[in-house]
Amino acid sequence: MKKRTPPRRTDTGLDAIQRLMARAVMRPLTSGQRSQRAWVDGSPSAEIAGSFIKPNDRLSSFERLQIYNQQYWWRILGSFQEDFRGVCAVLGERRFDHLAVAYLEAHGSTSWSLRNLGQLLPAFLENHHALTAPHTALALDMARVEWARIVAFDDPALPPLDPATLARKTPATIRLRLQPYLTLLALAHPVDALLRKLRQSSAETGTASNAVGASPRRRRPVVLRANALPDPIHLAIHRVDLSVYFKRLDLEAFTLLTALNAGASLEGACASAFAKSSASAGEASAKVREWFATWTELGWLAKG
Amino acid sequence: MSATRFTGHADYGVGIGLRIPHYQHILDRRPGVDWFEIISENYMLDGGQPLAVLDRILERYRVVQHGVSMYFGNFARPNRGHLKKLKALTRRTCTPWVSDHLCWGSVDGRYTHDLLPMPYTWEAVEKAALNIREVQDFLELPVAVENVSSYAEFHASEMSEWEFLNEVVERADCGILLDVNNIYVSSQNHTFDPLDYVNAVPAARVAQIHIAGHTRHERYILDTHDHPVIPPVWKLYKRAIERCGRTATLLEWDDRIPSFDEVHREALKATKYLPDEKANAAA
Repeated sequence: MKKRTPPRRTDTGLDAIQRLMARAVMRPLTSGQRSQRAWVDGSPSAEIAGSFIKPNDRLSSFERLQIYNQQYWWRILGSFQEDFRGVCAVLGERRFDHLAVAYLEAHGSTSWSLRNLGQLLPAFLENHHALTAPHTALALDMARVEWARIVAFDDPALPPLDPATLARKTPATIRLRLQPYLTLLALAHPVDALLRKLRQSSAETGTASNAVGASPRRRRPVVLRANALPDPIHLAIHRVDLSVYFKRLDLEAFTLLTALNAGASLEGACASAFAKSSASAGEASAKVREWFATWTELGWLAKG
Repeated sequence: MSATRFTGHADYGVGIGLRIPHYQHILDRRPGVDWFEIISENYMLDGGQPLAVLDRILERYRVVQHGVSMYFGNFARPNRGHLKKLKALTRRTCTPWVSDHLCWGSVDGRYTHDLLPMPYTWEAVEKAALNIREVQDFLELPVAVENVSSYAEFHASEMSEWEFLNEVVERADCGILLDVNNIYVSSQNHTFDPLDYVNAVPAARVAQIHIAGHTRHERYILDTHDHPVIPPVWKLYKRAIERCGRTATLLEWDDRIPSFDEVHREALKATKYLPDEKANAAA
């Protein structure tokens, strides 16, 4: 008579169950949107599932665990795609999903909020060109702008600078801060124009709850392509009256703001902005006055 | 029993979840709504539109905070950074109580963003109760824990779900956010009588009730919050109200969200089961 093997049982401690289930839930799905049949050590996943999850009369242990595995990926990929619709439109859905899984395996959520999920995507893309080739440069520009858009949406605002305080000080002693929600980017591609194309089909959503979805979320595919521009554009991603905007800047204005943000004095920032410029001192002075009037109106400048 | 120590002795009627597609309607039309429930995590921010909208809502409406990632059932202790942000938000909203789920969802700092089911063990009872007490003490507010929908059961379980819930809330001395849709979904997925669950819950601890819709698949039901409430769930709600009396009630509708009026109309169906305030006070 053949000896029967007792069913595999996992450690019944709370920590052991949670670690095992979390590992199973966060394992990537197959291309058919199913749980992987083989566990990390090559043994059948069904055996692992059966070691801690009960089957019922309709679903095996593996199938019950698969529901959670699918929900995890559908939720997290849905949120990621919502945040990086532009990158998705550059790469196409299949390649974007591949990128997203690779990124999320390396940088899974470590926060109670999904808001910061894509924070490290630009740095990840810089080190994983194969995932985006031959559109690496465009995808990287797009990821930088899309992350900056998230920052512009809900990062804090500092009290704006009172312009009168500028008049009372000498430029060599004036140090200013930019609003935390403002990001300055030099870009090789016209990403602002590309994202405007995408806006028509956009509708803001938020975490409504942890209610589950019956299937992965899909939008109508949009393809975005652009060649690199002869000269880079300099973009400010900011907000006005709680809405996010893009504003293209002159190179000199961009350099000045970047220097201020790095802690330079107003005098030092102006000097670096016009270091390679052919503008006369009078022209430069007029430009700076005009820029500061605009930036003050937009609320970009905060007390240093 | 709406006005209990678990609701800060405040009497609430029928509310709905505050959702982005309804922002403009609410701000422009100022509809009469007893209260709004917000997902705390959507507003635990330092600036921008979400907080600005919330502040405008708070000028006119009562708001109660509901969380989705405190994970009382985690083996680990509650995240201090999360608690600090949550407490700051409670000061802003003046929520009379705070709710979150009796579940787990993160391990070793990695978040699943899901409401994962508990193994119903004595160890889990102790751990969850300890975590709830810590949250309650830190926030200095009553906490109500919500039963979740589940799709899996554990070999390790030593009791039923309702026995587990009762043991946890007694040890934590906290309230219950009774989700009758979740009870229904789990009863179908795990084959038990949902009325047994409703009848077993300690009525005096029920601070709030959730109602919602779900999606039926061939072999299981998913808690999708994207449909109207179905009659069997209304039946459970009726029984819960018979046992608990007038209780703060909230309709959740989170996906394929219809117009504000449609969602509100669906929520107000609950009023026909609720005793009026005077009758409740007399009782």
